[in-house]
Amino acid sequence: MAGVHADAWEATPDRIVAVFDPDRDRSSKLASDYGALVADDFESLVGMVDVVDICTPTHTHASYITAAADAGVDIVCEKPLARTASEAHEAVAACEAAGVRLLVGHVVRFFPEYAAARDAVMAGDIGAVGVVRLDRSTYLPAGASSWFSDRSKSGGVVLDLMIHDVDYARWVAGEVERVYARSAGGGDHVLATLSHTNGAISHIQGSWAYPRGSFRAVFEISGSDGLIQRHAAVQFEASVETSDDVSDVPQPPSSSTESPYVSEIRHFSSVLHGDEEPRVTADDGARAVAVCDGIAESLMTNRAVEVGP
Amino acid sequence: MTRVGIVGLAHVHAAGYAAILADLDDVEFVGVSEPRVELRSGWTTGEVFDDLDALIRARVDAVIVCTQTNEHLAAVTQLAGAGIDVLCEKPLSTTVEDAREIVEVCDRAGVKLMTAFPMRFSPPLIEGAQWIAEERAGQVLAFTGTNNGRIPTDHAAWFADPVAAGGGAVMDHVVHLVDIMRWWLRSEPVEVYADTNRVFHPDAAVETGGVVTVTFDGGVIATIDCSWSRPDNYPIWGGLTIETLGTEGVFATDPFAERLEMWSKGTTEWLDWGHDPNRSMIEHFVGAVRGEHPLAVTGIDGLRATEVALAAYRSASAGQPVEV
Repeated sequence: MAGVHADAWEATPDRIVAVFDPDRDRSSKLASDYGALVADDFESLVGMVDVVDICTPTHTHASYITAAADAGVDIVCEKPLARTASEAHEAVAACEAAGVRLLVGHVVRFFPEYAAARDAVMAGDIGAVGVVRLDRSTYLPAGASSWFSDRSKSGGVVLDLMIHDVDYARWVAGEVERVYARSAGGGDHVLATLSHTNGAISHIQGSWAYPRGSFRAVFEISGSDGLIQRHAAVQFEASVETSDDVSDVPQPPSSSTESPYVSEIRHFSSVLHGDEEPRVTADDGARAVAVCDGIAESLMTNRAVEVGP
Repeated sequence: MTRVGIVGLAHVHAAGYAAILADLDDVEFVGVSEPRVELRSGWTTGEVFDDLDALIRARVDAVIVCTQTNEHLAAVTQLAGAGIDVLCEKPLSTTVEDAREIVEVCDRAGVKLMTAFPMRFSPPLIEGAQWIAEERAGQVLAFTGTNNGRIPTDHAAWFADPVAAGGGAVMDHVVHLVDIMRWWLRSEPVEVYADTNRVFHPDAAVETGGVVTVTFDGGVIATIDCSWSRPDNYPIWGGLTIETLGTEGVFATDPFAERLEMWSKGTTEWLDWGHDPNRSMIEHFVGAVRGEHPLAVTGIDGLRATEVALAAYRSASAGQPVEV
């Protein structure tokens, strides 16, 4: 994700001045691509910048956020905000205490089809939201990014993939009070029901168990006065040929518009320059993690779980 | 000739069934019985009897039950007592006790009892059953199902009556997908979780939205969106879809995909042009009545599906999963 973000920052007035990664080969490569310096450690990195963009594995997010906040640096953090809700709340509190911005990369809010549907909902075009169906089905990330498949680090398909739609469900249907979920395929295929405080129900399918090379992200929002559907562009067959050029990390279908990652980073840049209010707050980031914690607990206990703040 | 009648005009399917029965070469369509005058007005297919006794006296071999759901038991009991085979609309009844009684009364009388699950006769779903039997996608892990429609009160108000229908969207739409999944998997639902709401048509006396999670014996998980979430101006009544995830692949099934999209005089419509599963279902029933083959769908299938729908209500009120 660091490369995607770095490319996107090129579309802003801001410049990447320094890169840190525990793997020095990786940081050197990225730094040279963008004419940046290589920092020896995180502390020296935050001493060289106004904003740090955290694209590390999920389980390390909270400690980097806290360290950056302590150094008084604004923060962009790839989703999920943290590995657990309690870590997320601590990170948000650290940023509030330090008076720094914390912007969370819930990029789905910048996908034009998702944003357009949300705009229509907010305009009242479909009345009160009744049932939201969200589906994000793809294959298990592999290769160099294999930390994704280490659930203790990534939180698995729930925290890494499903969280996109958890955040979107909150964006269109409001707070979630209760969740229930079941999984199959060794935990890589999850079906979750979210009960929103306003009575709306969200059904989310999040899957890393789909055929290698496939990526489907579709949705339907039905309301008291109408219906919005985003259909799949790709039809699945009973099996697909695997191919060697399949990306290790699944990539969502692209559209003809500007990359949503560029839109996201441009927005973040604008927010950091004081020109826009954030589309995703730090609290949104923490609450999405809290809902995912609830889903994970439901999967373990096979009970419906009340979601904390 | 097999002599077949219909009891009840309350159900929206009665007219379609009557047209099929009147059209089948080896069937004598005897007529319908319906005590409610308002339901009989405008009815033109076959003879109309004031009550079920009169229809039975007209000598029928078999009857399709199209009363409102809470009247199924009385009609089936009367038919079974007269030794008449029964094809009963779904859901079998509004309570587990009544549904079980429907099965038992037919067993005791030795009459055939079929539940009206037309999706069993839908070619894409039959192909799905074959694909699962052949393990085309490996071992099944999960189903994602939808059976969404407009609120059916345009057809008959009782569909949204808690007494007559026993509930709303859950009663109306959960049973079809549960039956398909039981048929495909050859295993039984063991646990159900449901959340329901009344956002669509908030004036209704029953739930209009619902998402139900079903866990099968053997561990397959499934969700069923049963919501009456299609708007009034949706191009068709609704639809049913099921996606199957297996260890080796995934396939999606839409039994209503055979349709034209038509824009005409300010409206959008979808015109079905494919196979009519209702016709195959009735042909199968009539063949079974004649002893040509055993029933592919029985009263037990109707009972099992009804149990899941009723478990969904228990779960929705408990806020937790419940055993079936």
